[in-house]
Amino acid sequence: MNLQLLVQVAVSGALAGGLFALMAMGLSLTWGMLRVINVAHFGMILLGAYLTYELSSAASVDPLLTLLITVPLMFAAGAAIQWLFQASRISEFNSLLVSFGILIIAGQLITNYWTADFRQIAPAFNPYVRQSIRLGDFVLPLHHLVGFAFATAIAIGGYLALERTFIGRAMRAFAQDRAIAGAFGIDHDRLALLLAGAAGATAAVAGTLWALGNPLTPAQGFEWIGIVFAIVIIGGIGNLLGTLVAGALVVALYSVVSLVWSPSVAPLVVFSAIVLTLVLRPQGLFGRRGS
Amino acid sequence: MIQSSFVLRVASALVALALVGCAAPASPSPTAAPATDAPSTDAPSTDAPSTDAPSTDEPSGEAIVVGSSLSLTGIFGATGIIHDIAGKQFVEQLNDQGGLLERPVEWMILDDESAADNVAGLYERLITQEEVDLLMGPYATPLILAALSVAERQGMVLPHHTSVHRPFMNYECQFPGWSIGPTPNEFVPNQLYDMLESLPNPPQSIAFMTNETGSTGYVVHGRPDVDEPAAISIAEDRGLDVVADINYTPSAEHTWDATAAELQAADPDIIFMSTLGVDSLNLLNAMEQIGYRPPLAFSLFPAPGPLLGAGELAEGHLSVSMFEPNEPILERMGPDVRAIVDEFETRAAAAGLPYTAFETQATGSWTAWEILAEGVRGAGGLDHREICDYLLENGADTTFHGHLTFNPEDGNYWPTTQGIKQIQGGDWVMVWPEDKAAAAPVGPSD
Repeated sequence: MNLQLLVQVAVSGALAGGLFALMAMGLSLTWGMLRVINVAHFGMILLGAYLTYELSSAASVDPLLTLLITVPLMFAAGAAIQWLFQASRISEFNSLLVSFGILIIAGQLITNYWTADFRQIAPAFNPYVRQSIRLGDFVLPLHHLVGFAFATAIAIGGYLALERTFIGRAMRAFAQDRAIAGAFGIDHDRLALLLAGAAGATAAVAGTLWALGNPLTPAQGFEWIGIVFAIVIIGGIGNLLGTLVAGALVVALYSVVSLVWSPSVAPLVVFSAIVLTLVLRPQGLFGRRGS
Repeated sequence: MIQSSFVLRVASALVALALVGCAAPASPSPTAAPATDAPSTDAPSTDAPSTDAPSTDEPSGEAIVVGSSLSLTGIFGATGIIHDIAGKQFVEQLNDQGGLLERPVEWMILDDESAADNVAGLYERLITQEEVDLLMGPYATPLILAALSVAERQGMVLPHHTSVHRPFMNYECQFPGWSIGPTPNEFVPNQLYDMLESLPNPPQSIAFMTNETGSTGYVVHGRPDVDEPAAISIAEDRGLDVVADINYTPSAEHTWDATAAELQAADPDIIFMSTLGVDSLNLLNAMEQIGYRPPLAFSLFPAPGPLLGAGELAEGHLSVSMFEPNEPILERMGPDVRAIVDEFETRAAAAGLPYTAFETQATGSWTAWEILAEGVRGAGGLDHREICDYLLENGADTTFHGHLTFNPEDGNYWPTTQGIKQIQGGDWVMVWPEDKAAAAPVGPSD
């Protein structure tokens, strides 16, 4: 086996994992901080991807510019779903079921509007899909690189916001003990709307980045569930930096196994590793025991 | 905070929900396609059934209901919608021309959501609750196999659009609308290699990239428990140097970078992509990102539109086809075929499809419907045994493939008319065999 090829594939896989980590971050935040398992997050990612396709194609603009529209929209959608959960006093476990229903609705609406046929941003408006950056003998695919850069920026930014700001500390306090945090005057409902909106915004970014490198079909929302939840749990629920590392590790492992062994064996090896991780460290690789 | 046991509960629930999402129990409302606002089409093809010529009188009486499931949503939805449009167009044209047995025809469709485990229940429902008169198959081989078991148990005729997986199609009253003959594992590679040998500089080496599931794996490797020729062994027998044999199972987290790098290292003269959907396009993009473009590439069953959308990157790409609406072919086949093609394009555009050409999938659909209609006319009624016997004894005349004959020994896979198409000048063009081609195939150095 050519060592350079192996390193190339591992690096490419790790970069590709950034996008899946980004998909996982919003989910991880709302689950860890709000105790809401918002599967509708996948619907928001999908909608963000389709809106990117639509806006970019209609206006003939760089797909990344569509973030100016999709991020506020998905922020509002994320906050609206959280408001629904709060108004209905839906429990943590039931939020999984309700949001799954929302995901199905989103998928159907997308099918009705864009049809089930494949959609893709025309290469003329999408400079990212085929370009790459060379570093010596290594090639870094541009859309993976952009995805990883966004994921890193959001993970670090989110981490700092949670660790260093009053709102972040308040949110963590509430996640640990609602009663005590409430006694100190923390308005959980408003903070929750803000956090859910932020999670929705990450879904918009993830959707745009997915559309940069992939044709779209409405069924993709369901296809992401397994790998993204695995990344959330391995990274440690609510742990953004852990999620980023977990995403890079999982997809890098997948790519290396594909090269060394066979792509058809990769899912078996990767998900066996995930199961083993959950058995040995149920709190995830980067989560604290008991949390 | 979150307990580990709760995480495991959620994980269990997610598995269940993912299964539900991918294969939700179907309780959809049926939709029927009666012939009301039917667009006008030309008179029936001159290849029309020779027994009872279709009447042009207005059909009357109780409608004959044809039931089927189709993948209107889910992973096969992109292709299912083509069969939806083509089938409705056929039914409307049929009713314009007098219906079947002078009765109007309605098509009742249930959405199977692309899940094979929904299909058997839906066909049982169509037969026992909806009491449909006739059946039409769903789309995609795994789903057709599921419907087949119900049709066989109920003794009903099942024409279907696209299953080419001969080893599993042993029910004598199933009739395929798309045939690669009884041995697609031999026909497809031999036809491709024949075409390649006709090029001025034929490829000397070949790499395989294979989706292991269903027909794509069968064509490349043959059946796992049977010693039989298939694309790889035939390539070796014909002197091609097989430099890579990469297999994969489709999944969301699959990245193409590793495969692209491996293929670049193998440096074949042609890549045989035994793939479905957009996998070929994703691989082409991944190879382009690492600065590698193979001299030639062939895809077995790609979604045709996205490859065209790739522009210059996919120029010269090869695939299989039963029919392409190329101008020389349309001229040869006459105004009836042109009318069908034009009408389909209008409907596909109205439905919002990005790629509207009437090609292999729609042809398979049209042919399946023609087989059904001819069987009913020939039998003179709706008795399924009689319809089946009529088709087995007499075959069927079809617009796109002429007269078809059915031999249960071959799974009713009629002698194929499949050819090879190539992207030339930004459009799919039939290039092989020579007598059906609209243009000559182009090699990398031509």
